[in-house]
Amino acid sequence: MSATTLRRLIVFSLIILWEGLPRTGLIPELFLPSLSSTLIAGWNEAGEYGHALAVTLYEVAVSMVFACGLGILAGAVVGSLPRPRVLIMPMVSSLYAVPLVILYPVFTVWLGIGSESKIAFASIYGFLPTMLSTAAGIQTIDPQLLLAARSMGATLSQRLVRVIIPAAIPTVLSGLRVGGALVIVGVVVSEMLISSAGIGYLISRYRTILDSPHVFAGVLLVLAMTVAFSAALRWIEQKASIWQTGMRGGLAENRSVRPAALQPTA
Amino acid sequence: MGGTLGLKLARVAVVVAVFLLWETLSRTGVVNPRLLPSASDSLAMLGELLQRASVRNDLIVTASEVLTAFVLAVPLGAIIGFMIAENRYFAEVAKPLLFFAFSIPKSIFLPMFILVFGVGFAEKVGYGFFSTIFIVIMSTTAAVESVKVEHLTVARSYGATTAQTAFRVYLPSMLPVLLEALRISMIFNLTGVMLAEMYASRDGFGHQIATWGENFQMKQLLAGVVMISVIAIAFNELIRWIETRCSHWRT
Repeated sequence: MSATTLRRLIVFSLIILWEGLPRTGLIPELFLPSLSSTLIAGWNEAGEYGHALAVTLYEVAVSMVFACGLGILAGAVVGSLPRPRVLIMPMVSSLYAVPLVILYPVFTVWLGIGSESKIAFASIYGFLPTMLSTAAGIQTIDPQLLLAARSMGATLSQRLVRVIIPAAIPTVLSGLRVGGALVIVGVVVSEMLISSAGIGYLISRYRTILDSPHVFAGVLLVLAMTVAFSAALRWIEQKASIWQTGMRGGLAENRSVRPAALQPTA
Repeated sequence: MGGTLGLKLARVAVVVAVFLLWETLSRTGVVNPRLLPSASDSLAMLGELLQRASVRNDLIVTASEVLTAFVLAVPLGAIIGFMIAENRYFAEVAKPLLFFAFSIPKSIFLPMFILVFGVGFAEKVGYGFFSTIFIVIMSTTAAVESVKVEHLTVARSYGATTAQTAFRVYLPSMLPVLLEALRISMIFNLTGVMLAEMYASRDGFGHQIATWGENFQMKQLLAGVVMISVIAIAFNELIRWIETRCSHWRT
């Protein structure tokens, strides 16, 4: 049996088990409601879930602009200048060790329990890893490319447009991948903790009244959101790498395939 | 770490500057002192908190949860990761599934742990375990893959026993990556346990922080944030220090 078929079989049987085990009563419905009752619960409250999804997506979108925009910018600056890099990078990676969740109560005190505190929290949550991965990626730009461009008399703007930006695209994309995934986590987590709207809030509210099918409908919705995000990113990655191979031959292929440390690639 | 004395001084200066900025913003009233109590007040509060028996108790609860989850997740994850890396077929089957499991936000499954285990020690440990194990598996896989095939071939052709290969080839080449894995999984683990405590709990330091936030006790809240940050950073630096020692030994 080939690996792919076995994998499909595993996924398929997991879905069957999800439906079967609660139905036969091997797992209480309270712990794991069957797939069909989850979907029905979600469908019956479609309006409520749709509204929550809109709130969550809005928060995710705004935070992503902050986290990825600023993170990629800061990472590019810090990564390309040697002095700040040596000074700041170890400090940033130490900060990365702090469990940022503990900052969320601070933000709720400052900004209230509306969307603002979620956006602030998720932006900070996504910022540091995006910055770290961008700074690490910028350093992988082959210095010989820059040297060649300079020795052939390229101006600064030419070097920027023809060398640095194309070479930095895989880095920016991997920064976007790390930051985007974390922003989604940040928004959902903060909604689960203290909030009055959004999918995380729905999950928490139905959890307190022990309505498992509705909890799992929310969980499924978040899963769908992350899967859609990574699929969209993979599509962009493919587009970008085709354009890149056209520009710089096989070298680019190598780099775009290389998974950066610590991030989901599938 | 590394770096010269000047760099270290510059880093200390940055940290001091942050605290000074915090102090002046609050003292001069640019920011409402009730929203941002001054750094000195918060640090004084930190000292006072450490004297309280209830806070120390919470810290012990959190530490035991974190350590239990860590002790359970790391060996199990390492074994699974090792098996995945050593068996090509198993790897092809399991890797995409693991990558997917790694990429989804774990926090949405927290309600499930509460439904199954109830609010308590087991739920915190279970969630900490769950949020740590995937990263351990993935890092171990990376660590095994960092063993050079040539080294293995040389060892085998000189007739090394399994134990010799394990201790002389695998362990030295894997150690830097494994230490890094240990460091990062501790970050994930601590975050998971703190989140579980903040979400629904009766004790633990995360619960304490959430309560302070809800009651607008900013001094206590900021003191707690500083305390957890210092503990997390100290652990991180300790492992990194060992890491640099080991990579030195490898080359």
